[in-house]
Amino acid sequence: MNLWDVSYAISKFLMDIVNFIFSGILGLIPDPVGSFFEGIGSWSVSAGVVNFITMLLEALIIIIVALLNVIILIWIERKILARIMDSRGPFYVGPIGFFQNIADGAKLFVKQIIIPRKVDKFGYQIAPLIFVGSSFLILSVIPLSPGFAVTDSNGLTIPGGILFAFAVFAIAPFSILVAGWSENNKYTLIGGMRSAAQMMSYEIPMLLTVASVFLLVGSFEFSDVVSAQQNIWFGIPLFLGLIVFIACMIAEVERIPFDLPEAEAELVEGWTTEYCGMRFGFFMFTEYMRGYAGCGIATLLFLGGWLGPDFIPDEIWFLIKAYIVFLVFIFIRGALPRIRTDQILDLGWKRLLPLAVLNLLIAVAIKAAGWI
Amino acid sequence: MDEQTCDKKREKVSFTGLVMKPIWATIVQTARDSFGGRPNTVLYPRERLVLPDRYRGKHVLSFKRCIGCGQCVEICPNECMWMKRIDDPVLGKIERPGVDYSRCLFCGLCAEICPTDALLMTSEYELSTSERDGMRYEPEALRNDEYPVKEPKESLLIPVLGLDKCKGKEACVKVCPVKCIKMVDIDRTGKRKPEIDLSICIHCGKCAEACPEKAFGMQPKLVVMFERPLPLFNLDKCTGCGACFRACPADVIYMMEMPGTEKKKADGTMTKPKKRAVFVLEKCIGCGRCERACRFETLEMVPESQYKSAKPSVAKGPKKGGKKK
Repeated sequence: MNLWDVSYAISKFLMDIVNFIFSGILGLIPDPVGSFFEGIGSWSVSAGVVNFITMLLEALIIIIVALLNVIILIWIERKILARIMDSRGPFYVGPIGFFQNIADGAKLFVKQIIIPRKVDKFGYQIAPLIFVGSSFLILSVIPLSPGFAVTDSNGLTIPGGILFAFAVFAIAPFSILVAGWSENNKYTLIGGMRSAAQMMSYEIPMLLTVASVFLLVGSFEFSDVVSAQQNIWFGIPLFLGLIVFIACMIAEVERIPFDLPEAEAELVEGWTTEYCGMRFGFFMFTEYMRGYAGCGIATLLFLGGWLGPDFIPDEIWFLIKAYIVFLVFIFIRGALPRIRTDQILDLGWKRLLPLAVLNLLIAVAIKAAGWI
Repeated sequence: MDEQTCDKKREKVSFTGLVMKPIWATIVQTARDSFGGRPNTVLYPRERLVLPDRYRGKHVLSFKRCIGCGQCVEICPNECMWMKRIDDPVLGKIERPGVDYSRCLFCGLCAEICPTDALLMTSEYELSTSERDGMRYEPEALRNDEYPVKEPKESLLIPVLGLDKCKGKEACVKVCPVKCIKMVDIDRTGKRKPEIDLSICIHCGKCAEACPEKAFGMQPKLVVMFERPLPLFNLDKCTGCGACFRACPADVIYMMEMPGTEKKKADGTMTKPKKRAVFVLEKCIGCGRCERACRFETLEMVPESQYKSAKPSVAKGPKKGGKKK
């Protein structure tokens, strides 16, 4: 049963109740048009209305899944970073501090929202929308399993889902630049500019490694990529590509050591300096959500997605792999210092780009030899 | 180019050294904390660190041991202590120090200089209050007469002269096995007092036994951690007012009459003779209260090492009613 059937059933059920109330209890009132209620009933189960409800439900499910994952990821990150630093991390709220994030979110939620007087109001208010919205849009194309994906009524996913995901991924630096400019603050402006400069360096090697996967599979869809990894995960022959991809993905989601746009030591809080309250909370939340999306894409492209022995459900396999990739992110964050602004382009173009090209060559060789 | 010269100077770090080694270190640390042991931090309200004995926290003051010398107040670098006059039902009118913790830097100098181990520092560190005045601890709040002295200062019993009982019979001089006691004239009083050289004294206590008037008492020496200054007395300026006698916390100073200074009054009767201060310096703790109490610049605090060679500054005669400095 897919979501379309569910929303069809929901809207039919709701309309039956409405019909029952009107025809049974208020039956004494004469019907103005004759078959008015029947008309409403048939309209409510028509394709347009059911599609609308389906879309709402899909958005809700995506947000809930993202929320749960983000809470778990932040908790894991805080705990493991604390262990790296020989301390304990969150402890008091909930069992071993699991609900600390909810408490932090509640605290941010009740804070006053201050808009500085000299900001450009339009950019200041639209930038969070772009940032958060585009990040949710990435998750809309990432399937957790063949049965847990956004499809149309025929069960088809978005054609070219991987391309779509990377296209949407690349919107965020634009919103960061807009935010940094409109906040009218030197730190935010530097942060936004750094975000744009950083994008120059990591996008190309990352897309080249993705291109190697396209080359092996011959499709732009996540489901095809995963099903092509039945025999061997692409992360094994394309190990080089996996490393380059993870390095670029850390830069993409702006985590340490590539958190140049919000370098706490240099720029106060980077491009989020002038945001406060729940807006800031949304930024933090969205950063982890992008981290989760990046881990998911790495899992799908290189680590076999939801493939695994049957005793664990597909979705859980996917999440386990994504969390392991996130653990790598955490250890890199705990170990490495922040890269300098003048080094990031050097790293992207002189180190990662040749490696990505080499990886592409390996993929070509494998494809030519016909091993996969 | 510059970059190349820089590279030559700088030690080359490989990819493994730059990236893999730190990651491996963090992994090892995490594994050690998660499986092998526990993190280093302490869950403060639930667990508490075992603090060392010498931890410098809140003070504790024994009213019985404290002699009210005020050296703690004098040495405090932040001027956060003060002496409070208290009318105690048992101890009478006394002065005891209080501490203002909003200014205290917990250097421990006050506890270190305390000659009687009356002021000690405990390991109590939770001093936060919701009011600023709550940081001001009066001596009653610091009082704890039962608090044990963990590291008592090394103190020896020394013979201390009670000068009011002494009649100058020189029994102590005869009995001393190391000849550390000498009889010294007290200027203008016609009396003599035994003076003990503590650098030779072997603390045998024979002088105290031999004294027919029981003037010697064996008392613990009040240990001062720093070089104590001693009061240098200028007899010419002394008016015999007795302010130093009342100020001394260690009962070092005695007032003695000087015969021959009586004056004839108009009606023919004789006035009482003038008095002078006499110091029994064995017991002196060098607090300097006598100097501060004296209004006639009679006293001058001189470090102990220079005391024997020092002489009172040029006599100008007592300035009557002159204020100190």
